[in-house]
Amino acid sequence: MALLKLEGVTKRFGGLTAVDRVSLEIESGEALGIVGPNGSGKTTLYNIISGVYRPEEGRVLFEGRDITGLPPYRRTQLGIGRTFQIPRPFSSATVRENVAIGAMFGTLGGKIGVGEALELADHYLELVGLQALKDKASGSLTPVEKKLMELARALAMKPKLLLLDEAMAGMPPKDIDRLVGLLKRVKEEEGIAIISMVEHIMRAVAGFAERVIVLHQGKKFLEAPTAEALSDPRVVEIYLGRPAEVGDASG
Amino acid sequence: MPLFLKMLAGNLVNGALLGSVYGMMTMGLSFIFGVLRIVNVGHGAFIMVGAYIAFWMFTLFSLPPLISIPLALVVGMALGFIFFYLVIRRLVGAPELTTLLATFAIGILLEELAKFMWGPDYRGFHWEVGRLALPVTTIPMGKIYALIASILIAIALYVWFRKARSGIAIRAVMEDSEGAQVCGVNVEWIYALSFAIGIGLTVLGGTLLTLFIPVGINPYMGGIYTLKAFVIAVLGGLISPWGAFYAGFIFGLIENGFYTIFGAIPGLEPFSMTQFLAFFMLLVILLIKPTGLLGARAR
Amino acid sequence: MKLRRYYPLIPIYLLYLTLFLIGFHVRGLWQPMALLAFYAALGQAFNIFLGMTGYVDFGYVAFLGLGSYGMALAVSSLYRVEWLGGGIIVIGLLLGLAMAALLSTAVGGIALRLRGAYFAIATIGVNEGFKYLVTGARLWGGSEGIIISGDLREAFGVEVANSLATFWADTLLFIIAALAALVTLHYMQSKIGYALTALREDEEAARVMGVNTTKYKIIAFITSAAFAGLIGASGWALKMTYVFPEDVFEITYTVEAIVIVLLGGAGTLLGPLVGGIIYGVLKYWLAVLAPGLQLLILAPIILLIIVALPQGIIGVLKERVRGTALERVIV
Repeated sequence: MALLKLEGVTKRFGGLTAVDRVSLEIESGEALGIVGPNGSGKTTLYNIISGVYRPEEGRVLFEGRDITGLPPYRRTQLGIGRTFQIPRPFSSATVRENVAIGAMFGTLGGKIGVGEALELADHYLELVGLQALKDKASGSLTPVEKKLMELARALAMKPKLLLLDEAMAGMPPKDIDRLVGLLKRVKEEEGIAIISMVEHIMRAVAGFAERVIVLHQGKKFLEAPTAEALSDPRVVEIYLGRPAEVGDASG
Repeated sequence: MPLFLKMLAGNLVNGALLGSVYGMMTMGLSFIFGVLRIVNVGHGAFIMVGAYIAFWMFTLFSLPPLISIPLALVVGMALGFIFFYLVIRRLVGAPELTTLLATFAIGILLEELAKFMWGPDYRGFHWEVGRLALPVTTIPMGKIYALIASILIAIALYVWFRKARSGIAIRAVMEDSEGAQVCGVNVEWIYALSFAIGIGLTVLGGTLLTLFIPVGINPYMGGIYTLKAFVIAVLGGLISPWGAFYAGFIFGLIENGFYTIFGAIPGLEPFSMTQFLAFFMLLVILLIKPTGLLGARAR
Repeated sequence: MKLRRYYPLIPIYLLYLTLFLIGFHVRGLWQPMALLAFYAALGQAFNIFLGMTGYVDFGYVAFLGLGSYGMALAVSSLYRVEWLGGGIIVIGLLLGLAMAALLSTAVGGIALRLRGAYFAIATIGVNEGFKYLVTGARLWGGSEGIIISGDLREAFGVEVANSLATFWADTLLFIIAALAALVTLHYMQSKIGYALTALREDEEAARVMGVNTTKYKIIAFITSAAFAGLIGASGWALKMTYVFPEDVFEITYTVEAIVIVLLGGAGTLLGPLVGGIIYGVLKYWLAVLAPGLQLLILAPIILLIIVALPQGIIGVLKERVRGTALERVIV
């Protein structure tokens, strides 16, 4: 049974169809990449999975259960965690508290107390390398640090499925590689399924995702093993209108 | 015709007429929310200002309320610009709480200033200008004038919106402020203008109101109108001034209809109960559909 | 039981104790101290909702009003029941609390599903609506209200009745304020506090993080309302020995509550107390200097605070003591 299954989801805004009959599946422990140029419907798709939007057509199934009508917080409790493209820290709280909030209201929700959540936060902060900043006000971090905190917070939710929204945009290549290594470890150790969504940072997808789905104008344009998909000339065309190498497009 | 039904019919006619004024007085609220996304909690205070303008113009210069209308619009817009540049502009990007409190405080400020300048006593005046006799009731001409004025102003606003450059610019900002900016629209000026127009319409609404209720004018009269305006605005779709206009009619009808019904039930004081009804309606509408029941495009 | 968690209460309880002792021992200062206690309690109670959730309840005073009615109804119905003795007062307090909590459950259950601005709109009407319901349906004495001075004297005798109104009502306010501070601290350190912080900062992100925002908003709302009920029961009904709808649904108190919380520092523990004291002193001073003009002066003050000092006094202080020993205590 697939961990997450989307069946023909469609989302319209007025006259615009942002997501057009998209179906996909992902199993536990898998890594899937979703790529597509700006406006291809990636963020909308994420919002449908995490429950911010309700699709006009189609269903969202998690662990076999129809969650199409469930509000976002319930989905998180079931195990769907996500990061935001533009990080949304709770500015007045410290970095540690931010991550702890993820732990407190995620899948462990009812079973852990504040103290344990804070300890868990420390663990994940160390994992992403932010432990030195744990008592700083989260609003004062640099953009890259905020992205790392977002990631730690999402991991602290102990999700079964992690949705990464441009999680590595703006980072230097070295950090991206380190983060990808981290995600691979987490994926193997904790069996999390990860969907990583990118627009140009192919590095975040190339060495990491087994499969890639390419979105174009709201439709699923292509689904293939990563290397195949990224070197398909049609895909490159959608982006740039000219041929390019995977190595080129590392932002 | 049985007495009760006659009373009901008469009150309903009254309600429809009053509804036009209700609609006018609410348009400003919807307008400000539609463009600036600000809830003007101090709405009623501006209505009070309009009522006082009508009162003083009549008492001091024998100017009938109809003539005071343009003055009310000008005064209102002036106030709008002042408060925008003094307060609202500095709160761009602040959390919702902050702007709510700011408009609340502005409302209180106006009420207290009014009390300070004109005292807390109830004022009123009487503009006798003939009556129109209908089968079910007689209507003072003043109310008919109010209806005509409301409709004319609403039409004028509509045309301006569609044709005038500023009107179009405002519509652009309502749709997509970033997009409008990229097209060269000075968004801050549009915000200022919209706020000023919204306040102007509200003050104007207060003046129009005196054609119906030329008594009971006091610094704190605004409170109940804030409540009613919110009901009407929510009924008509919080961001749509035109929806507010239609909703005003509906509200006027409902209010007066229920007034008659409450009056017929012993043990109830109809006026107070109708005000309570407004609140009840608000909760019900917010429960069912917060974006309004009448054609609003939710953002 | 880790005592360190309760350190932040130390300055607060010390302050309350000081105020109480000053009032008790210095001639003529009991009333002013009681006034400060009232405002501190009001601020503390209101802060649980406004400060911690970031939502504004413009109809807050309705809870104070209901609290007063609770006390008045209890006394006026039960004063002849001899064996209850002082229990009547306890029942009055509980009834006031219950009534306020009930209204808040009803209003909150409906209105808190809505987002910020819509919620505020809904609460605009609560106060006016309730006032008109009471007068319109001639509920609880209608516009004539309830007077309990005679009932109190009959139940307890003149001397005790007097001391109830002039001493015990005010002492209760100190106790209520202290209790509100305790509950605030408890919330702050528990999951509830974290949830509220999250939803206050960014409600949508909080929901995506798994926070059931509606549930936590309702918890804060009912708690805040319950305390308001207690304050109304003791600080108004018991103290004044009468309740009139015109007085107890007076929006001025909501304005004052807002000023107190904002001035002191919304969402902080110490803030409402500091705000309450400053405001109480200011009001006393203004009542002498410029009677009847308080609101006229308050309104621009609110605007000034919003624009220039949004975190309030304690908010600013918290930033200053970050990383120092005082951090544990200035909360």
